[in-house]
Amino acid sequence: MRSQCENPPDWLSAISRREFIKALASGLLYGGLSRYARALPDAFYPFEEVPPSVSGITWAHIAGKSPEHYLPETTGAGCAFLDHDGDGWMDIYLVNSGNCDFFNPNPPLRNALYRNNRDGTFTDVTAKAGVRGGAYGQGVAVGDYDGDGLPDLYVTQYGNNILYHNNGDGTFTDVTEKAGVEAPGWSSSAVWFDYDNDGKLDLFVCQFVEFSKSISKDCRSGEDAKRGYCIPRAYKPTASWLFHNNGDGTFTDVSKASGIARYLGKAWGAVATDLNNDGRMDLFVANDTMGNFLFMNRGSGRFEQTGEPAGVAYSAEGRPRSGMGVDSADFNQDGWMDLFVANIDMEQYAIYQNNHDGTYDDQAGPTGIGQATRLLSGWGLKFFDYDNDGELDLFLANGNPDDLIESLHLQVKYQEPLMLFHNTGKSFQNVSQQSGPVFSKPLSSRGLAIGDFNNDGAVDVLVSVNDDAPVLLRNNVGSQNHWLGLTLVGKKSNRDAVGAHITYQAGDLKRSRMKVGGGSYLSSHDPRIVLGIGQRKKLDWVEVKWPLPSGAVERFTDLPIDRYITIVEGEGKWK
Amino acid sequence: MAVSWGRGSDSAPFFMSRPFYPVVLWVPLCLAPAFGRTAKQTSVGDVQSSVQEAVRLAQTGHCQQALPGLRKASLRLSDKELKRTVGFAGVRCATVLNQWDVALDFLRMLNRDFPRDPEVLYISVHTHSDISTRLAQKLATFAPNSVQAHELNAEALEMQGKWDQAAKEYRAVLEQNPRLPGIHFRLGRLLLSKPDPASTAPEEARKEFQQELQIDPNNAGAEYVLGELARQAHQWDDAIQHFSRAVKLDASFGDAFLGLGTSLMAQKKFSDAVPPLETAVKLEPESSTAHYNLAVAYTRSGRKQDADKEFAVHHEMMQKSGGAGSEQGPQPPQAPQ
Repeated sequence: MRSQCENPPDWLSAISRREFIKALASGLLYGGLSRYARALPDAFYPFEEVPPSVSGITWAHIAGKSPEHYLPETTGAGCAFLDHDGDGWMDIYLVNSGNCDFFNPNPPLRNALYRNNRDGTFTDVTAKAGVRGGAYGQGVAVGDYDGDGLPDLYVTQYGNNILYHNNGDGTFTDVTEKAGVEAPGWSSSAVWFDYDNDGKLDLFVCQFVEFSKSISKDCRSGEDAKRGYCIPRAYKPTASWLFHNNGDGTFTDVSKASGIARYLGKAWGAVATDLNNDGRMDLFVANDTMGNFLFMNRGSGRFEQTGEPAGVAYSAEGRPRSGMGVDSADFNQDGWMDLFVANIDMEQYAIYQNNHDGTYDDQAGPTGIGQATRLLSGWGLKFFDYDNDGELDLFLANGNPDDLIESLHLQVKYQEPLMLFHNTGKSFQNVSQQSGPVFSKPLSSRGLAIGDFNNDGAVDVLVSVNDDAPVLLRNNVGSQNHWLGLTLVGKKSNRDAVGAHITYQAGDLKRSRMKVGGGSYLSSHDPRIVLGIGQRKKLDWVEVKWPLPSGAVERFTDLPIDRYITIVEGEGKWK
Repeated sequence: MAVSWGRGSDSAPFFMSRPFYPVVLWVPLCLAPAFGRTAKQTSVGDVQSSVQEAVRLAQTGHCQQALPGLRKASLRLSDKELKRTVGFAGVRCATVLNQWDVALDFLRMLNRDFPRDPEVLYISVHTHSDISTRLAQKLATFAPNSVQAHELNAEALEMQGKWDQAAKEYRAVLEQNPRLPGIHFRLGRLLLSKPDPASTAPEEARKEFQQELQIDPNNAGAEYVLGELARQAHQWDDAIQHFSRAVKLDASFGDAFLGLGTSLMAQKKFSDAVPPLETAVKLEPESSTAHYNLAVAYTRSGRKQDADKEFAVHHEMMQKSGGAGSEQGPQPPQAPQ
């Protein structure tokens, strides 16, 4: 028997206890984001913001926020690092809103392509390139779908998407109709990957919800019933798209045949990764207010959705969360790819450690990531080794989608800081406070792309901000350690080598990396991989396991350090 | 809550500040139209004149004279509408005359015969609230410094989110009776319930729950919260010990079985986690968390068919609830019923 004192007979205590247990279970008992002071100049910190006056990136995102609070207004947009002109320097692509049934901007808005001037500045070449977008833009995925050595652009929109083929002369051609990849509706993230291992990049396109101006809901909250952005539960889920690359510039919609379309979701982020080391690329898809999908690639063009039994669909309490940004990396270097998904405030982000048996354990609690992200809402994110010590760190871009949130919750902010977790090899350490003033700057961050824009081996970060200018961060610490940058060129395997495994050894340090497809949120990263070796002066060897259909393994020795090299599949040498 | 709670003064016990008179005044105001309406209806019926007279007396405020007739009528009447009228009049008059047992008799009759009548439920809430307030007032008058007065005051302050004042009251109770069961538990609970708690709050709360168990080793709730604190700190062995003791003390404590199961799962003891989770599901069949964790435990212990069944139950619950996620934030208007 519970004692009388613990379980008093009156209704008051019963309700108190229920509420108390509920709060306890949901982890609402601790809180408080630290605020930090600074005294040093920015350049002394690991990351330094490069202002528009220096970078020349004067373009800004315009959400077109309206009194009606149409949901797409708060969800965009994405960004990308890509070398569009093949000069070896990362250019930048930024997605903007645009004309649609609820928004008619005058003057019209446009996306932006900035060419890298190789001196830390950029020049807007959008007009010449012809990549201004069309409808209400959301994201961008970069991939060389035709294997001509030039990165192509797939722009997702609320409205039909656009495939821009890179002509190789600084211009692009809209080939969407011919390619057959319009994917009408409201698309979010897209992923280039070779699901059938035929050596050609296929395309997965996340679809969010059924939405149009005419079915937009009037959602309200707070005591004064102010109109705000609806929780996506208000809208019907819809199926995402999978397009098979036919190799002739066209694609076939295999959404149904592959099993993908069987599952209606509210998809934001997606990453293609090989979770069971079978050489086939699987898909992890973050859904908002629904269980996440884990599409395991079973071969023969079929996927099996295993999110629930795998343990990655819901929180530990069995509740769907608001999944947004995702990534996959072998953060604990056990040879198996793990997963990450960012959620909304009060839900904590999830870091799913691969148990090697098709199941995953959320390590958000033990790693401290759960507590650190309890009040945040996460979008773009990426595992990468920012300090080149050989460990995969984690960068998170945050911002609450609800502009009324501060009137509803005292502890949660609308604009939120970026976060950086340093991987110590044993755990993650939140080093945001020590990493630069930009980590205390409130932002409505959305997309995040990593890329080494100054080719110093220290991987930089680009963050796209809803209804504001993007934030470009220069990495000041990566080049203090030694490194080797790889550009992988597939021949038999897909040209971008998505799915390649890289293993390397430098003295006592042996590490592996996998080149995943997609990830983050609405964004696309520098395709190169930087291998950090800390203070070690020599890289003993690098082994590349090329994706199927090749599957070849090549080992390289006598490698240089602190520079980028290119490895072409099957050539047996680097250049 | 229909009754609004006033602000406490610094000197008076907090629970004394509940607005007593508005509640009493509400009864006649509320009943006046009902009397008018029912009196008119019943005047044409075949009703004994004594009942009519009792109702009339009550309506005109002559409760002393009306009450005996109303009591008699409530036992004899078969006309439901008239019985309802008599019931309301009886509650009102008994309340005015401070005859609480009589008021409760009328309420019992009304709730038995009109269990879903909103007006009956409404007057029931108010009458019980009124009784509660009067008794609290009596406690404050006759034993203002008693342990019970401090405890009641602390509870009221806790309800209002006045955490520090409530803690002070609980401490006052402990000064008088350091071994009174339940007080350390409430102090611990209070420490954890405060918004923006200090970083030391879990540790301080843990001490309170431990002290509670020294006084009352049978407090399953204290064991449960200690288990939950250990679980949140990823101290799985501790969590399992506390949850195990909680379920031994109270075999109907579904949340404790769930905590035990999830803690065992965190130690990858999936087969061991199945029995407590199955019990949790039996005790709390509406808990989607229990179903989900049982499904996961089945999956990880190789019981695929059982897992599929539980995932199906969980999936159905998610479909019905429309998914969870953050409950805060703008919501669409509710569809008309």
